[in-house]
Amino acid sequence: MAVLSRALMRFSSALISILGSLVLVFFIIYMMPGDPVLSMVDPSTTSPEAIDNLRKELGLDRPFYVQFFEYFTSMLQGDFGQSLVTSEPVLPKILMHLPATLMLTLTSIIFAIVIGVTLGVLSAIYRNRWIDVLVRMIGLFGISMPTFWSGILLILIFSVHLNWLPIMGSDGWATLVLPSIALGFVGAGLILRMVRTSMVEVMDEQFILTLRAKGLSERIVMFRHALRNALIPAITIIGMYIGDLLAGTVVIETVFSRQGIGRVIADAILTKDMPVIQGVIFFIAIVYVTVNLLVDISYSLIDPRIRRAR
Amino acid sequence: MKNVANESRVVQIPKLNISKFTTRFSFSTISVYVALIVLLCILVSALFPSWLAPYAPTVMHTDRILVAPSAKHLFGTDYFGRDVFSLVIHGSRDSLIIGVSAVLIGVVVGGPIGALAGYIGGIVDVIFMRIIEILMTIPGILLALAIAAALGPSLINIVLAIAISSVPGYARVMRGQMISIKKRPYVAASRSIGTSGGRILLWHILPNAWSPMLVMATIGLGSAILTGAGLSFLGLGVIKEIPDWGALLSQGRNYLTVGWWMATFPGLAITAFVLAINIVGDRLQDLLNPKMSRGR
Amino acid sequence: MRGNLYQTKYLVVFIALVLFLSGCSQGANPDGSTQKSGVQTTAEPTYGGELTFALATSPDTLDPHRSSRAVAVRAFRTIFDSLVVQEADNSIQPWLATKWTVSDDGKSYTFELREDVTFHDGTPFNAEAVKYNFDRILNPATKALNSRALLKPYESAEVLDEYTVKLNLSTPSSSFLSNLSQAMLGIVSPTAAEKYGDQFGKNPVGTGPFKFVSWTENADIKVEKNSDYNWGPSYVENQGQPYLDKLIFKIVPEEATRVGGVQSGQVLAAETVPPQNIVSLENDPNTQLLKVNTLGLPYTLFFNQRREPWKDVNVRKAVMLAVDVETIVKTLYMGTYERSWSPLTPGILGYDETLENSWEYDPDTANKLLDEAGYVMGADGIREKDGKKLTLNYVDASPNREKRNDIAVIVQQQLKEVGIAVEINVTPDFMTVIYEKSDYDLYGNSQVNSDPNALREIYHTPDGSRVLESLVGGYDPKLDELLEQGTVESDPAKREEIYKEAQQIIIDKAMIIPIYIFPYTVAASNKVNGITFDSLGYPLFNDAYIQQ
Repeated sequence: MAVLSRALMRFSSALISILGSLVLVFFIIYMMPGDPVLSMVDPSTTSPEAIDNLRKELGLDRPFYVQFFEYFTSMLQGDFGQSLVTSEPVLPKILMHLPATLMLTLTSIIFAIVIGVTLGVLSAIYRNRWIDVLVRMIGLFGISMPTFWSGILLILIFSVHLNWLPIMGSDGWATLVLPSIALGFVGAGLILRMVRTSMVEVMDEQFILTLRAKGLSERIVMFRHALRNALIPAITIIGMYIGDLLAGTVVIETVFSRQGIGRVIADAILTKDMPVIQGVIFFIAIVYVTVNLLVDISYSLIDPRIRRAR
Repeated sequence: MKNVANESRVVQIPKLNISKFTTRFSFSTISVYVALIVLLCILVSALFPSWLAPYAPTVMHTDRILVAPSAKHLFGTDYFGRDVFSLVIHGSRDSLIIGVSAVLIGVVVGGPIGALAGYIGGIVDVIFMRIIEILMTIPGILLALAIAAALGPSLINIVLAIAISSVPGYARVMRGQMISIKKRPYVAASRSIGTSGGRILLWHILPNAWSPMLVMATIGLGSAILTGAGLSFLGLGVIKEIPDWGALLSQGRNYLTVGWWMATFPGLAITAFVLAINIVGDRLQDLLNPKMSRGR
Repeated sequence: MRGNLYQTKYLVVFIALVLFLSGCSQGANPDGSTQKSGVQTTAEPTYGGELTFALATSPDTLDPHRSSRAVAVRAFRTIFDSLVVQEADNSIQPWLATKWTVSDDGKSYTFELREDVTFHDGTPFNAEAVKYNFDRILNPATKALNSRALLKPYESAEVLDEYTVKLNLSTPSSSFLSNLSQAMLGIVSPTAAEKYGDQFGKNPVGTGPFKFVSWTENADIKVEKNSDYNWGPSYVENQGQPYLDKLIFKIVPEEATRVGGVQSGQVLAAETVPPQNIVSLENDPNTQLLKVNTLGLPYTLFFNQRREPWKDVNVRKAVMLAVDVETIVKTLYMGTYERSWSPLTPGILGYDETLENSWEYDPDTANKLLDEAGYVMGADGIREKDGKKLTLNYVDASPNREKRNDIAVIVQQQLKEVGIAVEINVTPDFMTVIYEKSDYDLYGNSQVNSDPNALREIYHTPDGSRVLESLVGGYDPKLDELLEQGTVESDPAKREEIYKEAQQIIIDKAMIIPIYIFPYTVAASNKVNGITFDSLGYPLFNDAYIQQ
């Protein structure tokens, strides 16, 4: 019962967050200098009246709150408006690009978890040995390199030089490999650190010592008990990191010429294509909030103590 | 596997403290020293770049464009014929300015928000945290990208964009600290002897709450520089006489196949800085919050 | 991406020359000129195969009447044909129109059309279709931009019979036929345009050598061969169906990825090769490089003459002499771009060669001019007058295209030498900064165009109907008069003289600093043969084939 009401609470606050982000973004875009209408016409041949008409037609001459209210009400009816640049409807456009981005985000998370947890465990087991040192250095590099740089380096090495993997595009699994590595590397570094730290802590804790003393095999102690407990902070990191990942696609999708909403929004910001920016941010906010809801729920599944504690 | 596990058991069970000590001494200690030296070098080059740089960073040796690293040009020259080593040295200043000022603004704005929310609690907490959560739904670089586009390109605006996008993080950490500290016995104790709320906040809570903020700020320095580099890549950077590392890296990326040195050295400078700052941040965390590092 | 917008306005280009790597023969016909030394080409083109071609930016739309980006034209030129074609020598030849007559007052054009042409969707091509197209451009609902400017001064069309159409203009226009040859005035299927409405740009249907298959945004545009095609223009060898089965345009914004794609064989060709890669690709035995100089208005720095001290011709001249264009072109473009000397590029009607080398980098004279204008060197090395520093606000568009932002960086250093402080302002929002607020001292831009009439939009005193500010902000009565004459004069020889004089005035008054002529470059695998360029500088794939 408590769990249910808590979930409801979380859910409603998530809704408020999404709504709030809509207002915020709308405001930021409204503040942007420059007139989207100017990017739609030929400045040297269009008459002032035509420009005014276009502005009226698009409803850009009305005050902020009117524009927002109108946008919001039609959005509730599933109408996200039209792109100012291409005049195509925004919703289908986003739905077309979203899967590629979600796919990339997912594979990047998987890469980050697999690499991060494995290296983190290795690092904790071989604490202070050369493996540990090496692994931690790799992890630190992961969080210290700008992704566009590591992405281009990966392309030059694995696509141009060795010609093992596709250099561009978004169809097929092979095209996901390099972008996921470039994007997931950061997360791997974060998770690795978390897992290592908490593994080390857990390994020193009383219950592990007890388990060991009971004569349980080291492998069982490590993986069933120590790792299980060490995973909790790793999951927290994922909740926080998902936002960075989604934002990171802006850069990575450009580097690897992939389809996706990251590129859509980068273009839209440069051309002040308000409805598109608005729509993409809305969906990113939904993904972010959903993932964090899931993270919250998975806490209580993994660790019953947390459920009780809250 | 088995052997190793046995060994770690041998080391750990009986001599827990000693193992901790050696942990710190071996890898960490050396790396912390290296990191501090790296940071010191960067700081010196940011403060007194002309002491270290062999050339003026703006001089274009147009007869020597894209020259590979040599004794004359340690890091080679770029496509203007500028000395990359001198550029990296001089570029450290703006890179640090971006990092430090973004972090400062983030801390100064985010800290009090989190502190008030955590300390006062109730409706204030709900409102502040809702705002923070809203900011968090728009991930860092995207928010920075939108703000940078909205404000127009300039160094200050880039700093603002990065700072605003980092505010939620600081606020959240500060709030967490507040909530946990205000429940501690010594706070209750001073309250019971009639100390005013403001005094408690100032003298008892804040001093205990700043350490995780410091750790976070250190690491935030690194990520601010990375975000700045990302903005340069996306075409929202600033063109300055002396580019920062992110701008240098972003310019050099198109030359990787013909002049690898142009992107590699500024890139390594960023990486070295972020790496060093993270190592120091880790160590700070150990020192300031021994509980955390030893496990609860 | 926004950066493309202005430059691509009125996009008309033509080829100056088609240079092939390692100094091979010129011309780009399939029978033997695209190969490099040592690589054998089969004399006979082979049918079949898929060509992948990497574009640097995404098209805005594939509706020729709505598009404002050059990159879109590169894709939709394959789908749409035009009424006429402009050859490299500026002569106009038949295409969908077989012949035409111009009335004595120059205000109506009567076209006879080919009778064997059908659109990809089966709709017959006829006079009705031509009328529909041009009326569609005028219809505000179409939101036509560039095409509308090109169609000016078109007023109406009359269908005289099934295959004869008469176009009426409001005033004579000596550039009308040339404009009709442009892809942005290409002929679309009326049936499809009606059916798809404002989504026609995602479902284009024309009469061209390739049929539209699909467009996956930010990924690729696929077109396939039109087997019925046999009405190719005169500037391609193969007037029948194309050799290629399929043509796939991939959208690859990142330079490294694009060039790497060709080198690793993952795409067969890529456009807009950066200078440093042009140099390195020259040594790559598996790759060929195609390069075409675009014509029109070169990349030029415009002074904002609304502002002090740029009202003063001598101060402008000082800056012009203090900018070492030679060095800019040599270092930044590594000798792959040519320097420009005039407000027009070589090859365009009326280009004035005598301007070449007519001045040189001369900081001493620049200093002298500035001294005379009353700007005294300050202690910090920056000149000042009446306590005001001599600063120059240099605005450029972002993202950085063709290393234009880097030009600003060099100019900043060069002008520092003569005591001018340059502030660089690079912004994606240059439209507002330049055309609305006129908030700049120096701004760089180029226009690719086939007719010198393009000068009028920039250098002629605005007629008052413009909502946006002009680039130069300072005008000359004599220049105005020449530009007016140039628009209506029908004798090409006289037009040449008119435009030569106009160019002289522009340079003499130091209204601009011409910088470089942009070459359109394509890197392609040696397996690819027969990519040619039309007179507008766009790639043509009618003759392209892949060597098996």
